[in-house]
Amino acid sequence: MGVMMTAIIAASGVSKTFHQPKRFAGLRGALKGLFNRDYTEIHAVTDISFTIAAGEAVGYLGPNGAGKSTMIKMMTGILVPSGGALSVLGRAPHSHRMINAAEIGVVFGQRSQLWWDLPVRDSFELNRHIYDIPAARYAENLAYLSDMLAMVGYLDRPVRQLSLGQRMRAEIAMALLHDPKILFLDEPTIGLDVVAKDAVRKFLSKLNRERGTTIILTTHDLQDIEEICPRLIMVDEGKLLFDGEVTRLRAALGSRRRLTLTFGTDPGTITLTTATLTADEGAAKHYLLEREDISLLDVLGELGRGHGLKDIKLEEPDIEEVIRTFYQTKPTLAGVSP
Amino acid sequence: MKLGAYPAFTATAFQARLAYRNQVWSSVFGELVATFAFIAVWTAAFADRGSVDGVSLPEMVTYVLIAGPLLQWNTTPFIREVGDAIRTGNVTAYLLKPLHYPGLLLFNQLGNNAFEQVTITLPVAIVVALSVGLLPPASFAHGALFLAYWAVSWSMLFLIATVVSLLAFWVLTAFALDWFLRGIMAVASGAIMPFWFMPAPLATILGNLPFAWVSYYPSAVYLGKLDIPAAFLHLALGLAWLAALGGFLAWLWSRASRRLVVQGG
Amino acid sequence: MLRHLRVVPHLVGIHVRTYMEYRGALFISWIAQAIGYAGVYASIALVLARFENLGGWSWPQMALLLAFHLLAYALGASLSFVQFRDMEEKVRLGTFDAILVKPIGTWTYLAFSGLNIEYGGHIVLAIGLMAWALASLPLDWSAPLALYFLAAIISAAMLTAALMTIIGATALIWVRSRHLFSIYFGFWELARYPLNIFPLPLQIMMITFAPLGFLAFIPTAVVLDKPVPILGDLAGPASLAIGPVFVLIAMLHWRYCLRNYQGAGG
Repeated sequence: MGVMMTAIIAASGVSKTFHQPKRFAGLRGALKGLFNRDYTEIHAVTDISFTIAAGEAVGYLGPNGAGKSTMIKMMTGILVPSGGALSVLGRAPHSHRMINAAEIGVVFGQRSQLWWDLPVRDSFELNRHIYDIPAARYAENLAYLSDMLAMVGYLDRPVRQLSLGQRMRAEIAMALLHDPKILFLDEPTIGLDVVAKDAVRKFLSKLNRERGTTIILTTHDLQDIEEICPRLIMVDEGKLLFDGEVTRLRAALGSRRRLTLTFGTDPGTITLTTATLTADEGAAKHYLLEREDISLLDVLGELGRGHGLKDIKLEEPDIEEVIRTFYQTKPTLAGVSP
Repeated sequence: MKLGAYPAFTATAFQARLAYRNQVWSSVFGELVATFAFIAVWTAAFADRGSVDGVSLPEMVTYVLIAGPLLQWNTTPFIREVGDAIRTGNVTAYLLKPLHYPGLLLFNQLGNNAFEQVTITLPVAIVVALSVGLLPPASFAHGALFLAYWAVSWSMLFLIATVVSLLAFWVLTAFALDWFLRGIMAVASGAIMPFWFMPAPLATILGNLPFAWVSYYPSAVYLGKLDIPAAFLHLALGLAWLAALGGFLAWLWSRASRRLVVQGG
Repeated sequence: MLRHLRVVPHLVGIHVRTYMEYRGALFISWIAQAIGYAGVYASIALVLARFENLGGWSWPQMALLLAFHLLAYALGASLSFVQFRDMEEKVRLGTFDAILVKPIGTWTYLAFSGLNIEYGGHIVLAIGLMAWALASLPLDWSAPLALYFLAAIISAAMLTAALMTIIGATALIWVRSRHLFSIYFGFWELARYPLNIFPLPLQIMMITFAPLGFLAFIPTAVVLDKPVPILGDLAGPASLAIGPVFVLIAMLHWRYCLRNYQGAGG
């Protein structure tokens, strides 16, 4: 019950269906299209439920067309759910669009909210009026954000002269000027270089820890999630696949560690029962440890002495691999599936 | 690139337009309304007079359809698109391909216009013919000459629009140039007002400018307002204007593309 | 609501500042657009010069009609045309979504943050032509007539903005709505001429579902004391009511479309 008390976002059986006119291929099809109007139903989001507590940082992950953006758009009040119940800060976002908008911040990675031809500061000033931010609070936030996001040098430069990284930092700052309780980010690191990505991630993670701002972000980039979000929600084809901590996903999927044994000279083929041989380069042999209860000692015990073993390397799978495995197998393991 | 490949652009442009079916229906409707407006204007102007300056009302109805929907096409999207592509340097993407950019534009626009003729002008012409009536060409020879004039008209408007959009590279914006052209075309092409109703000095000046070959001369030839020798003479004059404009365009294009290549986009 | 009104000057201000970055181009586009319209008006003047009158309207009367048409259109369109014509792109590129996450009325934001001062050329030409026409016409000015004239311009401008809003809003549910502007401009073209020259079905359309008869002809006819087909004596009050009535319809339609907004479709 304690969880319910602090939940600031609650989705229960949320669905969204789009209607799209059918298109027909070729010249004949196009002519046919002049007279024919049929609709295809697209189930972008199907029966999704979750709750998010104040102060959480949640990564919303899925391949293209998985319904990530649609979910964000429903939570920010842009789209109306076709079914189910959705509540953000205790309200249905669409029917209270403006009140909701005043308490959230939204960053779209692929479309700028800054005024292209004008200095960054002008866009910020306009937001001060739109969000009715008290002057003192505005000055304080602007100072804090320009310091944290290293924007001092370019606040008075026209947006069109900024690099993508500078612009994205300005977008994020603009979404935070009015002290939103929740920050939604749709693909915030898309197209950024490594340094810019790192700056954005460090800032968001710090913001979440220091100011307690709830963060919900969609991404393709798993490193975003590893560095910012302890909790992961995975979707595919509109359906919820996984909701939980990143570490739990790793554990539940089995670790599938990779073992590389390097010998002084090629000892010939060595087959083991504790590990599966995946590649044999002669002196170097690659194995996969599929069972969690088998330790490195078990493998070495089975291998025995006398092969001239020089080096051992055991690698944990990275999150990318875990997720790839997850999408490939789409397991319905108890404890993983919601 | 082989010359034979260019018509592919015509076919593609034609087909691309079909995807916007609502656009087709509303354009037909909009054009129909505008055409009937002009027919009503001339009907009101003629009042009960049988003919004015030797021109009858049925002839004016036919003039409205030929000078307007048949011969004029909306140059605005073309000028803005080409003008912007040149100003922003996006056009360099075409310079890298083994094709001639103005040639590509020509065949592409041909497809667009073929589309409009079939889907918009033809239905409008049928409705007008059935409801108000349209006249046949004044004679077989006038009809045959009109076909040649039609080709001159199309090429003239294409050349004018392309020259104007290339000018955006050096002067003004495509937006402003387009509006200037609209103002000139409204009077000087004869699309709204045939020159025979104008004061003689004005008609003489406008009759010597290339814009007159877009709407006025072709429609006048169709209706037999120019006798055959005069029609041949003006066809030759039109071709001379085409050659001059074509040469000017080639010169502009070579300067523009040289500068684009030097700038590196 | 009051808070929204306070934001309006800032929305307009930021957009005007954008224009000022390219003030040379703005000035030239004013001149270019005025010339574009002047060309069409010159053609109509030439028709009148040869035929004396059009449906009982002389050239100075026609000039007043054209000036009213241009002024009411420019005033309404500066708040709406480009903003709502580009609705399709705003939906497709997601810029409309970015407006929906702001705590401000979506229409207010769109209309004023895009307030199109490019119509300056239209307005200068319209006022110039109107001044000439009014000076050439023997009008019997009185306070009620002057008041009616002003109110009729505002009502016609409201009608313009309302129709543009209705068409643009349709893009929210159909994804495309640009084609509807072709229909609008078909009737808009008709609205430049006296309504009485058109066949009855067109006249009926022009005062009902495509009410562009109210954009210029009906108010100008009332001012010039000329007969208005179908409406007769109702023309005066109807021309003042049409703007507010269509604004109301546009508001309802706008809300309906926002509720059924699909985004770019997934």
